[in-house]
Amino acid sequence: MKPKEVGIRVYVAALILLVYSPIVVMIVLSFNTSGRISFPMEGLTARWYNGVPTGYEYASYISAFYDWKFWIAFRNTVYVAVTAAILTLIIVTSVAMVLRHRIIGRDPLFYLILLGFVLPGVALGLGNNILFRMMNWEFTWWTAAILDTVYAVPFGLILMMARFDPDLVLYERAASVLRASPWVVFRKVTFPLIRWEVVAAGVFGFVLAWGELIRTSFVMRGTGVISTYISTELAINPVTPKWYAVGAIVTGISIVALIILGWVLSRGQR
Amino acid sequence: MKVLEAKNLTKWYGKEVLALNKVSFEVDEGDFFVLIGPSGCGKSTLLKVIAGLLDYEDGELYLKGTEVKEIPPHKRDISLMLENYALFPHMSVYDNIAFGLRMLAKDRSEIDKQVKESLKLVGMEGFERRSPLELSGGQRQRVALARAIVVNPSVLLLDEPLSHVDYRLQRKLMEELKLLHKRLGTTFILTTHVQEHGLSLAETLMVMNTGVIEQLGKPDDIYARPATVFAARFVGDINLFSGEVVGKRNGRYTVKTELGDLQASAEGDKDYSGHKLAYGVRPEAVLIGRDASQCENHIEAKSVSTYYFGNSVECLFEARGGLSVRVNMAPEAATLPTGGESVVGWYAKDAILIEKPSVIEGLNIEEVIYGK
Amino acid sequence: MLLIPGLILSVIFLVLPLAIMVVVSLYTTAPSSTGYLPIFTVENYIAFFTSPQTSVLLFNTFSLAFIAAITCFIFGFPLAYFLTFHIKSATFKNYVITLLIVPFLIDWSIRTVAWIAILGKGGIINFSLMSLGLIKEPLEALLFSRNTLYIIWLQTYVVFMEFPIYLAMNRIDPDLISAAKVLKAPPLRVVYDIVFRLSLPGIMAGFIFVFVSTLGDFITPNLWAGGVQTLGFSISRYAANFLWPYASVLSTMLLIIALVIMYVAFKVVNIKKLFYE
Repeated sequence: MKPKEVGIRVYVAALILLVYSPIVVMIVLSFNTSGRISFPMEGLTARWYNGVPTGYEYASYISAFYDWKFWIAFRNTVYVAVTAAILTLIIVTSVAMVLRHRIIGRDPLFYLILLGFVLPGVALGLGNNILFRMMNWEFTWWTAAILDTVYAVPFGLILMMARFDPDLVLYERAASVLRASPWVVFRKVTFPLIRWEVVAAGVFGFVLAWGELIRTSFVMRGTGVISTYISTELAINPVTPKWYAVGAIVTGISIVALIILGWVLSRGQR
Repeated sequence: MKVLEAKNLTKWYGKEVLALNKVSFEVDEGDFFVLIGPSGCGKSTLLKVIAGLLDYEDGELYLKGTEVKEIPPHKRDISLMLENYALFPHMSVYDNIAFGLRMLAKDRSEIDKQVKESLKLVGMEGFERRSPLELSGGQRQRVALARAIVVNPSVLLLDEPLSHVDYRLQRKLMEELKLLHKRLGTTFILTTHVQEHGLSLAETLMVMNTGVIEQLGKPDDIYARPATVFAARFVGDINLFSGEVVGKRNGRYTVKTELGDLQASAEGDKDYSGHKLAYGVRPEAVLIGRDASQCENHIEAKSVSTYYFGNSVECLFEARGGLSVRVNMAPEAATLPTGGESVVGWYAKDAILIEKPSVIEGLNIEEVIYGK
Repeated sequence: MLLIPGLILSVIFLVLPLAIMVVVSLYTTAPSSTGYLPIFTVENYIAFFTSPQTSVLLFNTFSLAFIAAITCFIFGFPLAYFLTFHIKSATFKNYVITLLIVPFLIDWSIRTVAWIAILGKGGIINFSLMSLGLIKEPLEALLFSRNTLYIIWLQTYVVFMEFPIYLAMNRIDPDLISAAKVLKAPPLRVVYDIVFRLSLPGIMAGFIFVFVSTLGDFITPNLWAGGVQTLGFSISRYAANFLWPYASVLSTMLLIIALVIMYVAFKVVNIKKLFYE
């Protein structure tokens, strides 16, 4: 290989390394026997994951598995992410169906939806917070899920619109000429052709909601989601490998979800 | 002086496809050099290698005496017009043409002058401010041409300039290219897969076939004396039969073919006695009716189909053994109705004998003539 | 109609909250149950514009975000370039892209905390440098400086800069590059005149995204840059103290900055092209 080519691969590898360094370090140090998160590592242990507590530890020292607050947050996160996934899926599909055609107001509508992910999360979080207080709505995982959906819909929409088969309209027209009602056309013609993109939109919603912090922090109460749980705890507790163990678990799930997303997307591509 | 010299130029695509196979040739300065060959023969590849856009693995390439392997495209004194023109969509016509000059760091007034001159040369004055996206195909081509010539290259390369142009405009374009060539005096190297274009435009013609040169020479030479069956077939139409030279007498060969024993003039130093070769005769050299009976070669045949071209007529005749003979004649001479029988014939001097099927080794002459 | 769910989402949870926020920014702060009284006043805005902190705040926020975006561009552009033009295998390209997205998913708090283990006194960089004998004492400056912020933000957002640029670059007709080379353009000019200019829509999209994301990020600067005051952080603090009107003022200002930047960028480059037709 010519030197130029080697240089390029080194550059790409270095960038990937940079981007992965927190994950790698996090996973490695989560196995550290000492309670410090620094190098050199003392030894390897899995106690931060599932070490049985003796009853005297507090937050930073209880292993992830036995930390009940962690499990609550985990449960909440799952609720939020799944709800966000479903909402995203529904909204992306319905909007994409309409935005396919050139109608008046197509561009403004598109930009409006796009704003959901372009505008600063702080602003949206604050605004929704005030709104919910006014309406006396409770801050539960529903509220977080909605905010996450606002954020995720543009992603899913762009993806779906980019993947539309241009002949789809023709198939639908052919079906309706054959006396099929719009719902049947959707069920039998459209949906089979776009189902993987629909699923992908849902997975997007899940993935983006799973690690979200900024927007969510404005609209969740109590132990909240994992991200809010971690940030509140870390504000008052020392950092120990336990938190890395928590992070590793959480990130692991994101990675699994991403792999699923990749698989779904490759299925969608004929 | 040779403006371009290639010696054993070899280029591979990956590990399997040999695009250029020890290609060697020379181009004289100021020549109008045309490369013809079927799609995939390597002519576009050769052009890109000359331009420096593709590298070659083996062999040597000299531009005005200097070996160019290490010289990147922007330092070579050549210009290239691509088949799809590749006009920069984000620049105006003026900026497109000025691009090369700007890269050469000419000063503004100089650039302005040359751009305007170029536009005038291709007949596109007034189009400076327009965007390439607004132009028609023909207009884009002119701009691409202007862009290529404005930098005053020693060699102008044109990749299939006649491909995307409709028939009537092709003639016009060919004339314009010829005029341009005269005016500029630059060496033109042009590729096309349409042999008529090659014949009309070329001062020197090079016929290529899957990475090798079949023949290089003046167009009329190649037409009258093709070196290989491939060249004979590709440049102009020809009737071909495989045969063996069984005798030589009175300055003529007797060639045994499936059509019978045919006569051909024996000229030149080489003695073909006893050789297996291809016997060919061009359709326009074949006569019918009474004129045919007077030729040394004449056979009975039946007219099978007729094609009318306006200024000529082409007739397909079937002779014994199912062999076809194509005859090309003036409309006045085409008096025989389809299905009619006649004598077709030609003079021995019009016969073309070709020994090699192709420059590519290992091909059977009958396979090349009749197809596999 | 089909648009109803989408419209509900956008109008009620996007437009409405922002509108309310702007309105609240004009309310009076008062120790009521909500923290404000629905009486219109510009006192909060006046307070904002006259506070000496404000210019520092705005300057910090704006410059941090801008430099972050530029940094991401400096690293992201070559990455996109290499992926498009120097890597031929399509599967490899897909791998790299997917590989790069994963780290975006790390939870925010973990992400920031993980960097301690890299840049801190006991972190891996200092550890390796010391073991190799290159330095005697751990470097302090790696952590708690603005550069930390840029590194962290780079790690987080470089993908979002790289991906739109990659999409735009992929659409460039390779013959244009050949034409430029033959027209005497040296390699760097080919990159600028052709590749850069033709991938501007993607560059702008990436730039806007990174810029706006870092504009509102209040966690990272808080933890790392030694308390560099940013707009986002102030907003979260005022909100935590139930001072809604003032928080809304800050937030509205943030919104305005973001919208102005986007408007300018949209005018300069037509981003629509990136998404459809």
